[in-house]
Amino acid sequence: MIKPSIPSIPIRPRAKSSRGHEPAKVALHPRNVKFDWSRLPLVWIPGEVFASHYVSVLHLLLPEGERWFVKVFSEILPLIEDDQLREDVIGFIGQEGVHAAAHQEVQDYFTSNGLDVRPFTAEIEALFRKILGDRDLTGRAKEEWLIERAAIIAGLEHLTAVLGNWVLNSPELDAAGADETMLDLLRWHGAEEVEHRNVAYDVFQHVDGRYLRRVRTYLLGGSALLVLWWRGVGYLMANDPTEPDPEQRPRPGFLKLLDAERRGLVPGAVRIGWATWKYFLPGYDPAKEGSTAQAVSYLAKSPAALRADALAEAQ
Amino acid sequence: MSRAARYAVPDIPDSKLYRSFETIVGGYWTKAAYRSWRRRKPLGRIDRDLRVRVSRVDEEGVDVRAIWFESEDGVDLPPWDPGAHVDVVLPSGRLRQYSLNSDPDDLSRYRISVRRIEPAAGGGGGSFEAHHLGVGDRLVLKGPRNAFPFVDSPAGYLFVAGGIGITPILPMLRDVVRRGVPYEFVYTGRSRDTMPFLDELAEIVGDHEIHLWPDDERGLPDVEKIISLAPEGAALYCCGPMPMIDAIRAQIPAPRIDTLHYERFSPPPVLGGSPFRVRLEESGLEVEVGSTESALTAVRRVRPAQAYSCQQGFCGTCRVPVLAGEVEHRDHALADYEREGHMILCVSRAKGTVVIDG
Repeated sequence: MIKPSIPSIPIRPRAKSSRGHEPAKVALHPRNVKFDWSRLPLVWIPGEVFASHYVSVLHLLLPEGERWFVKVFSEILPLIEDDQLREDVIGFIGQEGVHAAAHQEVQDYFTSNGLDVRPFTAEIEALFRKILGDRDLTGRAKEEWLIERAAIIAGLEHLTAVLGNWVLNSPELDAAGADETMLDLLRWHGAEEVEHRNVAYDVFQHVDGRYLRRVRTYLLGGSALLVLWWRGVGYLMANDPTEPDPEQRPRPGFLKLLDAERRGLVPGAVRIGWATWKYFLPGYDPAKEGSTAQAVSYLAKSPAALRADALAEAQ
Repeated sequence: MSRAARYAVPDIPDSKLYRSFETIVGGYWTKAAYRSWRRRKPLGRIDRDLRVRVSRVDEEGVDVRAIWFESEDGVDLPPWDPGAHVDVVLPSGRLRQYSLNSDPDDLSRYRISVRRIEPAAGGGGGSFEAHHLGVGDRLVLKGPRNAFPFVDSPAGYLFVAGGIGITPILPMLRDVVRRGVPYEFVYTGRSRDTMPFLDELAEIVGDHEIHLWPDDERGLPDVEKIISLAPEGAALYCCGPMPMIDAIRAQIPAPRIDTLHYERFSPPPVLGGSPFRVRLEESGLEVEVGSTESALTAVRRVRPAQAYSCQQGFCGTCRVPVLAGEVEHRDHALADYEREGHMILCVSRAKGTVVIDG
């Protein structure tokens, strides 16, 4: 079941007629963005408390998680003996750093608008910096733990590509009147996730690539993510002051998740289950998850990216 | 200056969930990871250099040369898409990026075009060296890669090229003509003789009317007028001198334009910098930062593993703790409260000597 792992960036075959539809190899670079959060409602899909908070959990998990990606990948960079992949990783690191900062702004906005998320995010911080940190290992144990964590990131990046592809193709959110700035944040982020969806997997293929490790890290990392995700929904719903009486606040439920997913408002159990199945297939190829052309097109019109360009110009 | 107060990472929460996370990671996961070294394949170097030789050189108007490459062993070169570029390793070791502008369907050869820029006009010498290449010269290319990806736009395209900025646009034009998608093309330059590929363009577009606007015949280009030519809902692809791109970006969003694509440039030059020194506390190494280079460039000379990414001061990857020294912050990545005690190496500068962690 071991997948051949060299070269780590396969030249993907392509029909001539497809040109202009799916660019083969895009050089990654971080984009500066600016979001204006001053008018964000805590429930940013009108009338959809569960769906809003289910997606908002990302603002609690991602900043610390992506800073951890940056740290792990910065440490693994010296192990990469492939100039092209190294360049991809440098672009990846920069994009993840900007993502973390963008979601952090939403966290800070929640906290200063009555939904104090700090107790929850302090736990997440301990998880990534202590439990999943360097753990004071040395020598071979240190290197293997670094590679193990890179493998976890490959699995998580598969999920972020799935989520990114979902949010780029979710007209139901527009129809439901979701906050435009929030949609732009999610779609800009999702588009960059789709754009760089190969990188973490290519790194894993370069430094190890064995099937057993892929499955082990995905099962452990993915389970932790699901548990924290669900805890996060509970936390946000229990602390959202939109309903002043804490006793009256709604709670998350699996039926609500199925219903919201059926209506296209959230990526739920069905999509994540299907994504998991695909990651376990021996012939898994991250390039099949979403379209680079669609991602590049969104990035060329994202208001946040255009606004940052204009601001950089003014300085 | 004393060491800035360090932010303390919160303790692992004393809850069932986090205790079990810690047990799984400490008791099982790190150990399973350790055991994985045994049959892991050794890391090997992957060589992606393309060894080529110059097969032909064409003069394309004033100061522009089109240089053709073929692989040394005669096999096909890697496939590429319109907008792609290669890194050319010049004989002196200088690395320069040039857009590919041949036909992407012909992989037996690549073509790049180089305008000679006088050192007095800010040229770094790379274009001079490229102009000295002759048929038969051997060199190494890296890539191709695409920082200007060309994507499908059924509503059509508006292409805007300024001077040598025509190079990535040429293969795009070839492609839209082949696909029969609506497009408009505006080509500007100082005068017709400084605008390369006019003959080739006529051949590519056939009867389709294109807009050739040399400054000496039509005056400086009017950006509003350019944008008004776009098919409704077009993708705008623009390549040319920075002032032209800035003028177009200033007009976006515009109702006729759906997406704006322009070629990104390398990190902006260091402006108004004076030299200073950086000392790396742990190793005791000290480097001199020249007035026209960034602290990142200097630190990477002694610490090649230094992380970085955007090189424009916004992504925050190259942030380092500062132990002593006066930093002149030029970044957009640090919050005000982080400025005391941190520095973004790629853009920020210092006075005298700054001591950083590491």
